[in-house]
Amino acid sequence: MSFWRKPSMRGKGLALGGMTILAAGLAGFAPALAADVIRVASPYQTTTLDPMRSAAAGNIETYGQLYSRLLRRNPETGALEPGLAETWDISDDGRTYTFHLRGARFSDGSPITADDVAFSLERIRTDKRSAYPAPLSAVEAVTAADPKTVVVTLKSAFAPFLGNAEIWNMGIVSKADVEKRGEEEAFGTVPVTSGPYGVKQWKPNERLVLEPNPHYWRKGYPKSDATVELIEIASPETRIAMLKAGEIDAVRAVPWAQVDDLKTAETIDMRLEPSTTIYMTLLNHKREPFSSLEARQAAGMAIDNKAMAAAITRGYAEPANTTLPGSVDFHDKDYPGIPHDPAKAKELLAASGMAGREVKILATADAPSQQTALLIQAQWQAIGLKPVIVNVDGGAWWDATGKGDYDAAANWWYNETPDPDLAVRWAVCGTCGSNSYNTFYTNPKVDELVEEGTREADPARRAEVYKEIQRITTEEVAQIPLYYAPNAVAYSRRIEGLKLTPSLQWTLEETSIGQ
Amino acid sequence: MPLLQLLVRRLLQLIGVLAGISLVTFLLVHMAPGDPARLLAGERASAETVAAIRSQYGLDLPLWRQFLTYLANLLSGDIGLSLRFQRPVIQLIEQFMWPTLFLTAYVLCLAIPPTVALAILGARRPGGIADQIIRLVGIAGLTIPVFWLGIMMSRFFGVSLGWFPVSGYGVGFTGHLHHLFLPAVSTAIWLVPVLTQSLRAALIEKTAADFVTAARAQGATERQIFWQTMLPNAVLPTLNLLGVMVAFMIGGAVIVETVYAVPGLGTLMVNALLGRDYYVVQGLTLVFAVSTVLITLTVDLLTAFIDPRVRL
Repeated sequence: MSFWRKPSMRGKGLALGGMTILAAGLAGFAPALAADVIRVASPYQTTTLDPMRSAAAGNIETYGQLYSRLLRRNPETGALEPGLAETWDISDDGRTYTFHLRGARFSDGSPITADDVAFSLERIRTDKRSAYPAPLSAVEAVTAADPKTVVVTLKSAFAPFLGNAEIWNMGIVSKADVEKRGEEEAFGTVPVTSGPYGVKQWKPNERLVLEPNPHYWRKGYPKSDATVELIEIASPETRIAMLKAGEIDAVRAVPWAQVDDLKTAETIDMRLEPSTTIYMTLLNHKREPFSSLEARQAAGMAIDNKAMAAAITRGYAEPANTTLPGSVDFHDKDYPGIPHDPAKAKELLAASGMAGREVKILATADAPSQQTALLIQAQWQAIGLKPVIVNVDGGAWWDATGKGDYDAAANWWYNETPDPDLAVRWAVCGTCGSNSYNTFYTNPKVDELVEEGTREADPARRAEVYKEIQRITTEEVAQIPLYYAPNAVAYSRRIEGLKLTPSLQWTLEETSIGQ
Repeated sequence: MPLLQLLVRRLLQLIGVLAGISLVTFLLVHMAPGDPARLLAGERASAETVAAIRSQYGLDLPLWRQFLTYLANLLSGDIGLSLRFQRPVIQLIEQFMWPTLFLTAYVLCLAIPPTVALAILGARRPGGIADQIIRLVGIAGLTIPVFWLGIMMSRFFGVSLGWFPVSGYGVGFTGHLHHLFLPAVSTAIWLVPVLTQSLRAALIEKTAADFVTAARAQGATERQIFWQTMLPNAVLPTLNLLGVMVAFMIGGAVIVETVYAVPGLGTLMVNALLGRDYYVVQGLTLVFAVSTVLITLTVDLLTAFIDPRVRL
């Protein structure tokens, strides 16, 4: 069999030699990070550049970079400050807001006028396809009194209005451009923007490349003239590896298990930033067993949310005590919460006649969702329910919860403003179009209080109203509050001034590249 | 003439395959629970908003009418608009196709030389020490999950040593080579053992073939026998296997593309499925079908070229 020898040795030698040369040659490259690009990675996708069209997580991050709003929030103090509106007056009856615009310009150099503001806000309020008109639900009309004055008339006095005018979908777009190019075209690739950045290139499903808007109204911002890349990376392991390898500068949604490790890394600034996020478990009030109040109370008492917060977030989150996020205004810090009492839970469940019922728990693929589902399953099993976990993806999750085809589903939500109005409308109001976040919980008394909370201007009186809402909905277990989690965000120490605000907006315009 | 016949026959087959696949994918994606309009508008959107978006995109029409519209567009060469991005599907596929094709070619370049070398080394003395080692290492390479290997390699070569980027596609030819090195190696590590086993078995079988004895009797040197007689005959089954694998890689590089954040067809497919972007899923399925048919055709032509006895 000697005929093998020569060719085989030569073949192998060539192959190995080739591999070595290739590997050595490639490894010699400098790291890929250019000095004048700030890269931010997120698991969430940008799917549209039209601020009216979506309230999905990835688009929320993007809108703030592209469009300015009437007001802005100070990223340090969280206070409302003038944005495109330099000053404003509120009528004595609280129904008329008059905004006086500053001399700002769009990215194409054209002036931002009252017409543009009226056009943008009316689109959000009245267009059928507007994803989130709720913040403007109290508005009767938005009109341009003169090129620099916008008048907003409300149906009745509405305390949270100024805060609502600052939310991510309230960005001002160019009326002239949308009318000239048409909606699809105007927001299709390179929109005319009013915010700190404009679009350099949009590669859907991969990244959005932004460049500073030369006409941005805040002089001297963005602080750095670097381009910005918002990169979509699905796998959490990959995002962390990219940060460690210096390929990106910031990453949100750091898995809890990685936080301690990243804290020890020298080049990385691992931060737990304040958020208005609440993790909770939806219960379906539309069908048995959780249409029964006693069964819901039993389910709530069965759960040790202190232990769950410690286990899932490694102690980085606070156990939740009411149905509202812990950092919204008027959150009742003194409310005792749902007590953890498995013995009592067992009794209540038996009394409700729902013992032994099958319970369908929906879970998505991410780690917190899986862990939460497993822990809830175990704790409910212990009191005599028969929980079954059903794994679904996001699309099927929304389908099932929207139709009420589930019994329990762990998830999280956040409030885009510190004011609790939108939070209660979203989570516990039966007449606000949200079906109490697909739980179908409804209590006319709560619905009445929700409206009352916005009519009151006095903070002390409002505090009472929201305290009452929290007491009723937590006692009736509208949802089971689990924990209040901070935003786990990791940054490269190369950059300064970047953070993710509680409204989930990156402060990229404040960011500079250090050493 | 036989070549022309083959092409015509395959073309007819392709039309049948595409028609069948269109119908099946259409039904599957539309019947899966989940609503693209809801995912587009986000969680806070009201039911009325979602309904308005559905009617704008024609998603509220009966399924058969949607399918007929889709089919009519398909026949006129239009595979549709992405629901998520409002861009032509063909433009998205064109954008994401190159990293996947580059990666596939890269994997082939990395996998074929060691496959040939290892198969020859193993077949030289079946059951010998070299053969045993190659087989053991091969089994290890086959059984290590690609996602685990990917994560480990990116941590070690990317993060700890800093030799290779852990994500992306890079700029320019050398940039692509650099960025896709780890993904290509991760894929080659399971591909090489598969191909090696096939080629090794074929080589061993052909060692005892009559035509080898005949060639030797005619006085051919051992080198001539190996390169001109044995290898061409032994390589055919492996070539067919390779064709299947390449088709698989173009359509199924999902894991490796996700782990290394390569903006390729696999990433596009996963996100289109999660976002219920119906026309992107259907367009990609058609592309995968066409590429599979084309690769099979190429393999068949190569086979006929190498072995004239094979009838097309």
